[in-house]
Amino acid sequence: MATRTKDIQTDAEELVTARESRAPAQQPLSVPADKPVAFPLELPESEARLRTPAVGQRASRPDGRLHGLGQTQYIDDITFPHMLHAKILRSEDPHERILSIDTSEAEKMPGVIATLTGAEIPENSFGPTYQDQPVLAYPIARHRGDGVAAVAATSEQLAADALEKIKVEYEPLPAVFDPLEAMKDDAPKVHGGDTNIYTSKTIKKGDVDKALAESDHVFHRQFRTQMVEHVPLEPHASIASWDGNGRVTLWTSLGRITLGREDLARTLAMPQSKIRLIGTVVGGNFGGKNEITNEPILALLSKKSGRPVKSVFTRGDEFVSSTIRHPFIMDYTTGVSKDGKILARKIRLVLDGGAYCSWTGTTIGKGSILAPGPYNIDHVLVEAYAVYTNKTTTGAMRGFGAPQVCFAYESQMDDIAHELGIDPLEIRLRNGFSENSLSPTSQTLQSVALKESLTQAADRFGWKEWQA
Amino acid sequence: MKKRGRGMACMWYPIGFTVAANPSAATVKVNTDGTATLLTGTVETGQGALTVLGQIAAETLGLATDDVHVVSGDTDVTPMDTGAIASRTTYVTGNAIVRAAEKAREILFEAAAPLLNVKPDQLEARDKQIQVLGFPSRSIPISQVVQHSESVVGNPAIGSASYNPPTVEMDPETGQGKPFNTYVYATQIADVEVDDETGEVEVLKIVAVHDCGTPINPMLVEGQIQGGISMGVGFALQEEILFEEGRQINPNLTNYIMPTSLDMPELDVGLVDNYDPTGPFGAKGAGEPTAVPTAAAIMNAIHDAVGVRITALPATAERVLGAIMEKQEAEQLAAS
Repeated sequence: MATRTKDIQTDAEELVTARESRAPAQQPLSVPADKPVAFPLELPESEARLRTPAVGQRASRPDGRLHGLGQTQYIDDITFPHMLHAKILRSEDPHERILSIDTSEAEKMPGVIATLTGAEIPENSFGPTYQDQPVLAYPIARHRGDGVAAVAATSEQLAADALEKIKVEYEPLPAVFDPLEAMKDDAPKVHGGDTNIYTSKTIKKGDVDKALAESDHVFHRQFRTQMVEHVPLEPHASIASWDGNGRVTLWTSLGRITLGREDLARTLAMPQSKIRLIGTVVGGNFGGKNEITNEPILALLSKKSGRPVKSVFTRGDEFVSSTIRHPFIMDYTTGVSKDGKILARKIRLVLDGGAYCSWTGTTIGKGSILAPGPYNIDHVLVEAYAVYTNKTTTGAMRGFGAPQVCFAYESQMDDIAHELGIDPLEIRLRNGFSENSLSPTSQTLQSVALKESLTQAADRFGWKEWQA
Repeated sequence: MKKRGRGMACMWYPIGFTVAANPSAATVKVNTDGTATLLTGTVETGQGALTVLGQIAAETLGLATDDVHVVSGDTDVTPMDTGAIASRTTYVTGNAIVRAAEKAREILFEAAAPLLNVKPDQLEARDKQIQVLGFPSRSIPISQVVQHSESVVGNPAIGSASYNPPTVEMDPETGQGKPFNTYVYATQIADVEVDDETGEVEVLKIVAVHDCGTPINPMLVEGQIQGGISMGVGFALQEEILFEEGRQINPNLTNYIMPTSLDMPELDVGLVDNYDPTGPFGAKGAGEPTAVPTAAAIMNAIHDAVGVRITALPATAERVLGAIMEKQEAEQLAAS
């Protein structure tokens, strides 16, 4: 309790100081008082930035200088007078029905200004393809990262302490974690209904079974990939400020503000004209910051409290509640002629979708189209399924399924080369796309530079001369 | 004993969304001193996109990179953009910027044409001048043309435009169609050392040669490739979120291991000479594909070094050693 009282005191003093000074300009802490300008005013000239034509120049980045001087303002660097800090309470079970949420004890704590639960959110769902994800879960939480309640308090520590005072009554529901188990008829259903398979994709060209039967060699193997997190240096962070005209401004680390505003207007049931999103410099995205997370929560907490409200995810929040990369289970069967020409490729992909759809639609689409690899193959069949499980939501991550399928198709290319005694470079040059090749969706490809990349990489590496 | 191996992987990757519309809009304003302002709704996410977009606006107007100030990421100020996703910024937003800057440039051509006694379509914007095509001596500085257009003709040089990559719907049964307007290609080759007593893999070197169409800024493309490889190395060898009954057991950077600068191999990065006529000045994109082939190349190098095929990522020392021991047992069994 001692520390808590101290926090409140310190915070109260800060508020008074902020009110008295009314000084919006912030000085970085490192600036000595007797030397107010801590950066060189004479800029060294960057030749490449001054040259015409501009395209092709190795022009330096204007933001690079600010990063180097520590002058870039990320959300964590931005502060406003009277600003509150928000924290989110997360589900304790992988699948549960919330019976009741009692925030009254938290609200009694000095310094706690507002709380929020899912039932208070005007339209409590979002998602780029299906709107199957709640902003704050209610009445069902579908994975352990689902937020169930939020608190805004005068300090981050107070908000975190207040979460412990929130009483949530749960009824645990049966959960499923393995995507292959989740595909079975008797598996617990993450979103009700009669199946956990929420999207599928087929790419079909030629007659794959006939071509496999006629192949000289048939290779089969199953490949699996894991869940990984984007780990941006800057976690998800936002500040919301609701003004007296009922207009809300959000400073956010979101990577796509136009569509973020649409999502906010929908969840808050407000006109887009009353919402302003300012995309601050993002400290790393890699696909993880392509949809709203805490923004509607902060907007509503700001509305309730009449104060700006900030939230910066902890690294733990970032892992458990933001989206991560889909694990794939990939069955590859490939028919090849004696001289190493790929005749047919049959692929089955199972994507572990986690608790909500998020960017799975794009991931299964790109994953399926790219799965046969950059090779001329007349007979192709790709069947892909995305499955709900009671785990962290999988979404967009640098490559949308491509790193997963590339691991599979390129590992199998080397298996084939090894078995047939053909050099790995040679088998790729024999089968690889060139200008006007037909893709697995029968698209005529243009500006194709696959073989150039192969031969140039081999030359730079010294592939022919290389010895272990 | 440490054993060396080499492995290659190539890939293809599309630019933009799968079939779905993913437009960008842009506004370009030319100032009376010959500098310009670009308004874009995308956001800088650390990749240098705003620098590249500024270079595209500058190129269209015949200016230098430093002459264009880029304003981004404010829904009250900047036009619609689908955002920093799907490796689309250089291609889609870049194409919108070319079209917006061309509209502003057209206003300048119309103002300059009577002064140079030619038709507007006989002019070009180059080296900060509006000049008669092929005759740099018959020219007027852009600043003077903007001033003339604004203060005498009464037509400020401003242009807005948008772009969306054309696609063809995929057949729901067979998936046949044209889901993307263009693709990029790449090859990465890894040189690794595998300790066959511990299973530990050290990546010694990666050669990466990528196609991104015309590199608008080769330095930033190289940076993307280097960063992508670091993510690829983590995906290949170290990173994995572990679960126990649906609970993450390593949601922190102490137990979720990712590569640091000390884990990075020597990198040799190259760009293929290519030009895509549908992209801004021939450019395509470079964001995501840089991280795609790295893991596959490393797995093929592990196979080359110790003869085991890793079928599940990541290839931790434990998993690689397990595969080596399995292979040795099978060989002993076959020998006896």
